[in-house]
Amino acid sequence: MNVVLHTLRCIGHADLSRIAATAGLPEAHVESELIDLAVDGLATRSMGAWGLTAAGKAADAKQTADELDTSGARAAVTSAYETFLVLNPELLDLCSLWQLRDDTIDPARVLDRFTDLNRRVQPVLAALPRLTRYGGRLDAALHRARAGAMEELTDSMTSYHVIWFQLHEDLLATLGIPRT
Amino acid sequence: MTSPHSVPGPGHALSQPGGALSPPDGALSLPSDALSPPSGAHSLSGGAFFPLDPALGEPVEVIGGKAHGLVRLLRLGLPVPPGFVIGASACRRFLRDGRLPHGLDVAAGWLGAESVSVRSGAAVSMPGMMNTVLDVRGPITPAVREVFESWNTPRAVTYRELHGIPHDLGTAVIVQAMVHGDRDEQSGSGVAFSRDPGTGDPHPYGDVLFGRRGDAVVSGECNTLPLAALAEREPPVWSALVAALNLIEQHYRDACHVEFTYESARLWLLQLRPGGLTPRAAVRVAVDLADEGLIDRREAVRRISPSRLRAAATPRMVVTSPPLRKRHAANPPTRERAASAGVADPPVRNTLADTAGLVARGRGASPGVATGRVALTADAAVRMQGPVVLVRPETSPLDMHGLAAAVGVVTARGGLASHAAVVARSLRKPAVVGASGLDALAEGTEITIDGSSGEIAWGAQASIAAGDDPHIGRLLAWADAISGDDSPRPAEERLSAAQDRLLAAPG
Repeated sequence: MNVVLHTLRCIGHADLSRIAATAGLPEAHVESELIDLAVDGLATRSMGAWGLTAAGKAADAKQTADELDTSGARAAVTSAYETFLVLNPELLDLCSLWQLRDDTIDPARVLDRFTDLNRRVQPVLAALPRLTRYGGRLDAALHRARAGAMEELTDSMTSYHVIWFQLHEDLLATLGIPRT
Repeated sequence: MTSPHSVPGPGHALSQPGGALSPPDGALSLPSDALSPPSGAHSLSGGAFFPLDPALGEPVEVIGGKAHGLVRLLRLGLPVPPGFVIGASACRRFLRDGRLPHGLDVAAGWLGAESVSVRSGAAVSMPGMMNTVLDVRGPITPAVREVFESWNTPRAVTYRELHGIPHDLGTAVIVQAMVHGDRDEQSGSGVAFSRDPGTGDPHPYGDVLFGRRGDAVVSGECNTLPLAALAEREPPVWSALVAALNLIEQHYRDACHVEFTYESARLWLLQLRPGGLTPRAAVRVAVDLADEGLIDRREAVRRISPSRLRAAATPRMVVTSPPLRKRHAANPPTRERAASAGVADPPVRNTLADTAGLVARGRGASPGVATGRVALTADAAVRMQGPVVLVRPETSPLDMHGLAAAVGVVTARGGLASHAAVVARSLRKPAVVGASGLDALAEGTEITIDGSSGEIAWGAQASIAAGDDPHIGRLLAWADAISGDDSPRPAEERLSAAQDRLLAAPG
């Protein structure tokens, strides 16, 4: 499993530091990987941002399919995705309610709901070892919000919603489900 | 085309004198002619059921907001399918001990309908949070159980948590004879606003689906036609609908919207809700209603909260110029949408085409106005020179770099709570979601979008800020007259001062 390739598949075009932070790997290591991917025609770089080529997307689809087959996790990930689909509208409702809030919305209650949702998404992350990385990132975003950086819920590039959105894309990519 | 079952009309089966229908214990006593129970048993389940009837006087805490609205419609003589309400106390009991009221299926049988709808309706509005079960044939008990249980879905719990609604309130349930928007060619469903909810323009506005049920309209799974298409397809239904909207406005002294179905050319109203307007539209409606004499100026000032005024101050598009580029006349958006809705060759006119410059309309998901050239992929948005509007079926994280590069975003699918909407708001970029008719947009075409009203127009269009909006200006002048202070201050302060004065000396 090429982690850098798969990270790019899930976050789209991004600069080196964002790819490294998302993958949880040192920048030097990630840059070396990206150059190898570019040599193989799987990634390109333009205007400072790295992105996958069509061949890179196909290569990732193959490696995630192989991963599911060799680990025998396909059933578990499929079931996790079904659980995710129940939680996803709830998360999007919550994000929208927070963004469109009026004076009647209590920020502490909003944080409580995010925390509760975060607890209920844990079984989804347990379906595949590499998905647990999302757990750490989601926890960290909630922690930042609780420390006062409320934009870390929905309104930054490292927000809880952005990480969740990437998890959504990861599940679709891993299971080979096209966005309809 | 007659329906196999007979649905009693308003002013017929259900307009019995109220006293006979409301025994002191409040128990079910349905009218005797159309809904005659087999054995004369009138009292069931200890007051759990109430017939939908103009004389039903139970408060909103008992029968819920939706049923309360239906009773108001019946009192106005408007057509509502016959039915009964299961009071919220029955739900509270179910939530406590899992027991459903006795006699549900007997009561449903008295409606004499081939099938029924079972809808939630709490005392406090919780839009879209609970279940509805349509077209129930046979026993309704499982459907009522499902609706009661939906009180505790995670989404509903979240909504109540955030809005401070007690978790033990419970919901009433409305059981009504099903009316079929998919019955025949003279059937359909829709949502109708008495005034344009995006702009406040004083004309009926909404969506209609020919030959489909109401759930297809609400779900967004089908692309709808503009409401005005009904005027040419079913003129009597249109006339009845417009008359109903006018009557309701006069009664409520406010804009409103209804869900409706028409079956074999006969109109039925299924739900009544107040408002539903964008902040800018709400200001215009308040000012217009005062001009029309339906409310006074004090009431107009009272109706707009400072936070709504702040939201209304977002710049808005004003479509003043003819389109800079002509649309492809051979392929108007409405025809495409009609085909996808399974209706052949509709004799309709595209109401959007009648509004100079408008190409499509969706839902405003992130406020503001943006002008740019259409980019159909995120890569194109990054590559193209100058401001671009990203137009996508829906968005994925792979579109994030395109969203970052674009001045605004339009999606064909998704609602106000979609990834695209959340991301656009986080980037403070105007967004329109759920827009149909986008096939007409070629890459590179210049468009302007309004993320409040959901309008998409050809070419570069002007936008106006709050200071130039005549309705906001007039409302604030009225506010100053009330507060007796016309010194230069921020708009919200001017409004707050007037509202403080009205609170201190109401009337």
